[in-house]
Amino acid sequence: MSETHTVNILMVDDQPAKLLSYEAILADLDANLIKARSGREGLELLLKHDVAVVLLDVSMPEINGFEMADMMRQHPRFQKTAILFISAVRMTDVDRIKGYQSGAVDYISVPVVPEVLRAKVSVFVDLHRKTRELESLNRELETRVEQRTRQLQESEKLLRERADLLELASEAILVRDLAGVLTYWNAGAEALYGWDRNEILGKPVHEIVETEFPAESTSSQSTLINDGRWDGNLVQKARDGREVIVASRQVFKKEVGSVLEINRDITAQIRAEEALRQTERLAAMGRVAGIIAHEINNPLEAITNAFYLLRNHPSLDEEARYYAQLGEAELARVGHITKQTLGFYRESQHPINVPIAGLLDEVLQLQGRLLLVNKIVLDKKYFSDGQIRGIPVELRQVFLNLISNAIQAMPDGGKLRIRMGTRWNEANGRTDLCISVCDTGMGIKPEHAKHLFEPFFTTKSTKGTGLGLWISKGIIQKYEGTIQFRSILFKGRNMTSFRVILPGVSPASKGFENTRNVIDEETERASLGN
Amino acid sequence: METDPTFILCVDDEQLPLTLRRLVLETQGYQVLTARSAPDAMRALIQQPVDLVITDQVMPGGTGTELAQSIKKRWPDLPVILISGIHEIPSDALYADLFISKVEGPAALCTKISAILSARRCPQD
Repeated sequence: MSETHTVNILMVDDQPAKLLSYEAILADLDANLIKARSGREGLELLLKHDVAVVLLDVSMPEINGFEMADMMRQHPRFQKTAILFISAVRMTDVDRIKGYQSGAVDYISVPVVPEVLRAKVSVFVDLHRKTRELESLNRELETRVEQRTRQLQESEKLLRERADLLELASEAILVRDLAGVLTYWNAGAEALYGWDRNEILGKPVHEIVETEFPAESTSSQSTLINDGRWDGNLVQKARDGREVIVASRQVFKKEVGSVLEINRDITAQIRAEEALRQTERLAAMGRVAGIIAHEINNPLEAITNAFYLLRNHPSLDEEARYYAQLGEAELARVGHITKQTLGFYRESQHPINVPIAGLLDEVLQLQGRLLLVNKIVLDKKYFSDGQIRGIPVELRQVFLNLISNAIQAMPDGGKLRIRMGTRWNEANGRTDLCISVCDTGMGIKPEHAKHLFEPFFTTKSTKGTGLGLWISKGIIQKYEGTIQFRSILFKGRNMTSFRVILPGVSPASKGFENTRNVIDEETERASLGN
Repeated sequence: METDPTFILCVDDEQLPLTLRRLVLETQGYQVLTARSAPDAMRALIQQPVDLVITDQVMPGGTGTELAQSIKKRWPDLPVILISGIHEIPSDALYADLFISKVEGPAALCTKISAILSARRCPQD
């Protein structure tokens, strides 16, 4: 670029002969020689061309050399332009020439020695050429610096955005080496595992979060190394000991030897799926149990009858009769199980209005002998006759289960407290029936509490089927009701209270609405062991 | 003091359970007739009047409740007991006087029968 740059030399002299001689002297300089016959013409040409050096005759008519130089210096573009004065040696001239402080200025005396002129001009030409080259280099450099700066700014912005994005992600994003040593740990990872980045960076992550790899740890590692990536679920431990299940995606960057890892917390999802499977399994189990129980009942009756006949046969001696009795007792247990199981497996029937008060009395009457034998004091209060639209057998089963559980919990006597009343349900605008069954028996252990409504869960070892509460809950849910329980220890006495809330039949029993407070207070006092 | 024997008709499609139920009832001193289906039972009743009918619910050729309905049409005062392996009371069970689950056992069955029979007799006395 700078090589092709032609240098202009402006020669100003009022004598054409001198101009010609300068031209001849400077011909070898590989420069473009421009001639001007006066200061005015010289100034005009200066404006048109980029001039490296002006060869200026001092003594010219009209505008002399010094006047022209002054004009040039006033123009910003020409302040640094080199001027070579040609003058007869006069002291005044030399002093004046020295007065030009800025810019390159030299002089040459008359008569002009060609070598000196050529040498001095060529110095200025070189200087100019170098200056121009430097300028263009500078400009180029500046644009390149500008460009690079812009590129850097853009990529920095991009990187900053990406870093922000990584922090925004709810997934745990981490970078580690093959040994697990961490170099990056985002906010998502901090939230998921509970470890701050400054605590965990530089440490082997999978040891800290106690990762359980699905297969052998080495096999997922070799997949990662050979295929460059590995996907799978991992079981890990958060800082607080909580177990987390994550869907992990890992990519191995061979060139830098690091593993990029994104772990998404799927614990809740997995738990929900497990719960659903569990529910489905229980429902299926219930159906199967129901069908089997029904099929068992027919032969069961026949066998029970056979044992009854056998036990009462006159030819039987005492020992044989004892055996028959044992068989009969065990058969009664089978009957009890099928009855409980079938109770749950019940298809639709025509619901009728059932007075719960009458139903409770019926159940209590059935249990009357047990209450007496176990020395249990009955304390019942009905604040409503409690009409429920439903199937009597189902409702009876619920309260039979609750009441007989309460009685069985008090083998050494106690108090059986039954309360029934209505309460206005703000949430759905209906009047609910609220029945509570409390006992002062052995209580429910906290570790048993969460299993209470599971099928085949029993605390009564051989006596219970473990189906009663499960079935009861199923029935209550069918009626869109709820069942809750509380078991507290107060002054060395256990108070266990089951409360069933069922949607009432109609607003006919308006007079009972005020019983809400009564029953709540009653229950409260009961649970406080009053 | 029992003078006339009490007759009971026992209906079930399965032979063995039917026989055993008959035997149990006989230990209580009842005269027991048996039938293997609802139509059989109707034919037997025409030939021999009884004091009470116990019928299984699920039977081919007519359910226990259907039989109860036919019986009540002709003999409105004849007590009918439904006995079933299912705990569910059929919707048309109202034709029968009582619904008993099979798992309740022989003792309960006998008690309930005698209760129904004595309730029948008392108002007449």
